[in-house]
Amino acid sequence: MMDKVSFTIDGLEVVVDNGTSVLEAALRNNIYIPHLCYHPDLEARGACRLCIVEIGGGELVTSCRMPVESGMVVKTKSPKIEKIIRPVVELLIADHHASCASCPSSSHCELQKLMAHLRIDRRRVRRLRLPKVKAPLDTTNPCFDYDPNKCVLCGICLQTCESIHRVSALYYVGRGYTTRIAFYGDKSRCESCRECVTRCPVGALISRKT
Amino acid sequence: MIKKQYSLTVCQGTGCISGGAEDIFSSLEDEIDRLNLGEGIRIKRTGCHGFCQRGPLVVVDPETSSGLFYSKVAPGDVSDIIQSFLPGGKPVERLFYRDPASSKPIPNYHDIPFYRKQERIVLRNCGHIDPEDIDDYLATGGYQALRKALFEMTPEQIIAEVKQSGLRGLGGAGFPAGRKWEATFRAGGNEKYVICNADEGDPGAFQDRSVLEADPHSVLEGMVIAGYAVGARRGFIYVRAEYPLAVKRLRIAITQARDKGFLGRDILGSGFGFDIEIFRGAGAFVCGESTALVLSIEGKRGMPKPLPRPRTAEVGLWGKPTLLNNVKTFANIPLIIVRGSEWFASRGTETSKGTAIFSLTGKVANCGLIEVPMGTRLREIIFDIGGGVPGGKAFKAVQTGGPSGGCIPASLLDMPVDFDSLTAAGSMMGSGGMVVMDEDTCMVDVARYFLDFTQRESCGQCIPCRVGTKQMFSVLDDITTGQGRPEDIDLLLELGESVAGTSLCALGQTAPNPVLTTIRYFRDEYEAHIHEKRCPAGVCQALVSKTPSLSKREGEGDK
Repeated sequence: MMDKVSFTIDGLEVVVDNGTSVLEAALRNNIYIPHLCYHPDLEARGACRLCIVEIGGGELVTSCRMPVESGMVVKTKSPKIEKIIRPVVELLIADHHASCASCPSSSHCELQKLMAHLRIDRRRVRRLRLPKVKAPLDTTNPCFDYDPNKCVLCGICLQTCESIHRVSALYYVGRGYTTRIAFYGDKSRCESCRECVTRCPVGALISRKT
Repeated sequence: MIKKQYSLTVCQGTGCISGGAEDIFSSLEDEIDRLNLGEGIRIKRTGCHGFCQRGPLVVVDPETSSGLFYSKVAPGDVSDIIQSFLPGGKPVERLFYRDPASSKPIPNYHDIPFYRKQERIVLRNCGHIDPEDIDDYLATGGYQALRKALFEMTPEQIIAEVKQSGLRGLGGAGFPAGRKWEATFRAGGNEKYVICNADEGDPGAFQDRSVLEADPHSVLEGMVIAGYAVGARRGFIYVRAEYPLAVKRLRIAITQARDKGFLGRDILGSGFGFDIEIFRGAGAFVCGESTALVLSIEGKRGMPKPLPRPRTAEVGLWGKPTLLNNVKTFANIPLIIVRGSEWFASRGTETSKGTAIFSLTGKVANCGLIEVPMGTRLREIIFDIGGGVPGGKAFKAVQTGGPSGGCIPASLLDMPVDFDSLTAAGSMMGSGGMVVMDEDTCMVDVARYFLDFTQRESCGQCIPCRVGTKQMFSVLDDITTGQGRPEDIDLLLELGESVAGTSLCALGQTAPNPVLTTIRYFRDEYEAHIHEKRCPAGVCQALVSKTPSLSKREGEGDK
């Protein structure tokens, strides 16, 4: 079994540990691939679908779950990727109720980073239908608020609670567009470790100053 | 007195029951008792005949007696039906099926075009046997395949037979069944499972339900054979909770099969043990996806797992190798074992063997459940079996494959129907829904309807499916209410390609199909809605008249 594998990403020859995912290998070599649900502390879930790259003869795969193989040729940018990924980010932005100016997560927000990276054109976003109703804030947790209007449902918070703090105090509820994270109000098992808040890539979980 | 023995079957499928078939059955029983004819007329409950449009159905058994087919029977007809068996009695002509074109009565089951053009393999017993009586199944040769499999064949031989038959999974994706069986067989470990997927959730599809209601033992038999072949000892049937009659009949069938030794620790003294449990789904469409279904049985939220991932055949239920097939796939197995793979493979096309089963609904004269060899032309299905579009209206399109399928226009009616041809036309076989549309159908409204379904049923975990299908629905809703914008067609195409290309599972990957195919084949209708604020079919209320009227869709939003 080889310990190291070498592969090519965007023309760059890179050597990484065997078992590294394409996304991790790229990030370690300062190549940014759009992503929201990936977090280095957690198992890759492939849920946000943004980290799609092209391998070999043009096959599209989610780079967070694709282990690097020896001799693999990866392209992180191509017209094919651009065509399908850009609309997904535009969809997210159209759906994201918030003005960055008043958001506490501004400047360390993964969505802002994505927008800058893809140079999102607001005119294209305006072709989409914006949500008409704003969902109420969930303020039932004693130490943080949850804003479903900013949540991208990356799942990092519940994965953190499940696999790092091992409490599983929060989970998905609902289906389709009305899917939310539930905190179970006064029945919550939350131990207020705030690990989920720390890892929220956007401004959906906000610590409350008590 | 009646000299001859007559056998009378009364359909007790969900469709006929809703038309009052239970009352008809008890009235027939009472009438037979009253006239003391119990010796001459046997009466039996059966499952669905498929011809739901004409229900409630009462058929004089075609195998043993006249084969007279009485349709749309009401309790008031019961006495006349019984009188017809008495000396000098005449068949009840007013209940005969009439040819929609010529109005000519067609008294006999086998002469009715709806049945004549079909080839019923999976539906072989549907409408003929009493689904609640295992002896009836045994009388048709039931469980002989199991005997043959257990005592004359090795698991390898069974798998080879299934592979050679060319049977493809009939749940939608069409994956070769034999390859799945082989992968599960080869996977290590001594704990394996067999799951039957009966989470049929497509609007307008009811073939899995009908098979379970009419012939549950054929599915059980297929599952036990599968268990023996792949090395599993436990099976699950994942069935929608919305199918109470199917669940009831499955329960009865499982109990009877256990009593007769076809299920249990030592089946027929072979030393092989296998048992089946029913698991009722909680009503999520996405749980028909294999990995979501497995999670659901494990008690977790049904969310599909992303690729790359190990196959369910290798890592399935509770991490163990699991064989997952659809109801109809299992129902095919006993026949393939008894009659052989060559017999099966002689039907169908080069790449799709056997038969296809469709729930034929919509603007078609003969709605119902049909089975035809793969490769049968759409035209034969819709016009010969289905009797064409009623009311002198023109055929416009047919939607196949449920909400994930596409709309196929009249220009493709001569297309032979199989897995690959449907995919090439932008649609799919899916679970076999087939909705016929006539000139009064608005194709934008159709796309809106199906997108409304998929956007509600998305599991919500991946962005393109959760937000993309909702966005596509909103755009379609705007177009049908006169708020379409000139750039909307391009926007829908762009979003459709993106949602299809990036979504995590088949639900999102196929959800844009109804939009993409209606734009491909009926773009002019979109243009009329957007540019002229006109609905050519006259369906979209906001574009038909400016006067306030009750919208067809009022109240739909709060379901």
